[in-house]
Amino acid sequence: MPALLLLVQEGEFTPFSINTGLIFWTIVVFGVLLALLWRFGWPAILKTVEDRERRIQQQLEEAERARAEAARLLEEHKRTIASAKAEAQEILARAKAVADKERETLLAKARQEYEQLLERARQEIGAEKEKAIEALRREAVDLSIAAASKLLEAQLDSETNRKLVMEYLAQLEAGRTS
Amino acid sequence: MMQGPDIGKAIFEHTSDSHVIEWPFGLETHLPTNWVIFGINVSPTKHVIFMIIAACLVFLTIWYAGRQVERRHREGKAPHGFGAAVEAMVLFVRNDVAIANIGHDGEKFAPYILTLFFFILYCNLLGLLPWGATPTGNLAVTGALALTAFVTIEVSGFRALGPRGYLKTIVFVPPGMKGVGAVAMAFIMTPIEIIGKLVKPFALTLRLFANMTAGHFVILALLGLIFIFGSWLVAAGSVAFVTFMMLLELLVAFLQAYIFALLTSVFIGMMQHAH
Repeated sequence: MPALLLLVQEGEFTPFSINTGLIFWTIVVFGVLLALLWRFGWPAILKTVEDRERRIQQQLEEAERARAEAARLLEEHKRTIASAKAEAQEILARAKAVADKERETLLAKARQEYEQLLERARQEIGAEKEKAIEALRREAVDLSIAAASKLLEAQLDSETNRKLVMEYLAQLEAGRTS
Repeated sequence: MMQGPDIGKAIFEHTSDSHVIEWPFGLETHLPTNWVIFGINVSPTKHVIFMIIAACLVFLTIWYAGRQVERRHREGKAPHGFGAAVEAMVLFVRNDVAIANIGHDGEKFAPYILTLFFFILYCNLLGLLPWGATPTGNLAVTGALALTAFVTIEVSGFRALGPRGYLKTIVFVPPGMKGVGAVAMAFIMTPIEIIGKLVKPFALTLRLFANMTAGHFVILALLGLIFIFGSWLVAAGSVAFVTFMMLLELLVAFLQAYIFALLTSVFIGMMQHAH
């Protein structure tokens, strides 16, 4: 019997024969494989890949955002530093101006005080001189009077003497006014 | 087995389907021959068994790779090892075959194209193993696969274009033609359009079958030379050539799976964008 079957098979199958049963089997096997893979096979790989693609895309976008943020911060810092520098410059300039003005006023005040002191000293000197001259004159008068009294004791009522004293006095007056 | 010089018969026996599965050391398994459904003999044959083996291997490959890729992804690591290798192939087929040729709807068809590619690839590769058989070297198998492609192409076209648009892909009237001319053109072009639709799966069927069978014919013929001449010198030459052919077959196994998937994608894309 097996021998007979083999003979039948050899008659039945050639590389070019089309076996209807095999078409059926191919569709069944392929269909089952397709269904199983559709349910259990491809989603695992494809979902993962899509998920990964999404994740990478997200990370790229995040990196781009972070880069933009960093650039923005850098710009801001640069601006802050620039403004701080300008401010410092301004403060320095203002301080210099204030110091200049202060020095100017101080100098002016010092000069003024010095002038005042000089003036006062001059006045005092003048007053002292006046006083000294006054005192001198009084001394002179006293001396003259003393001299006169001595002369009077010696020669009273001498007209010539009187004249002499008067002349002397006039001379003194002239010396003072000159 | 190869006592006589009837190499042609041996080649035919080797490449054709059979109810007997051969194992190492001359062992054989006889498959039942009396399964009948609706008057069709659906007894399992050698190619059925190898197809099932291929399907199981494809499922295990994809399932295991998917698990691995998913786990590495959950752990926040890059894909690695086996999973990465399968993922690279899957992505290539998905992006450069399915989506590149079908267009923005390619993602919907990607699972079908991917299954087609891996199933054909594994069937092709099983034929290269000792005692193996090539289910894709059988017209019934390639025909059935092309039939699924045909159904997918036409159904997707019908859904994308609508009844009117789909009818236009059968009854073709050149734009701007009216009246008698249009009727005449439709009369002439309709058979051509229908033939065009049928030729695509037919070409798919024959291309895969012929490529897989031809390679085996060449290898078996080269090996047959040894038994015809019975010379060590010829044997050395034959074995060298067969080794080269085996490497070529390895390339062809990948290439034909790729071409089948690629052409199916191209045909789906053509229908999707037919106007």
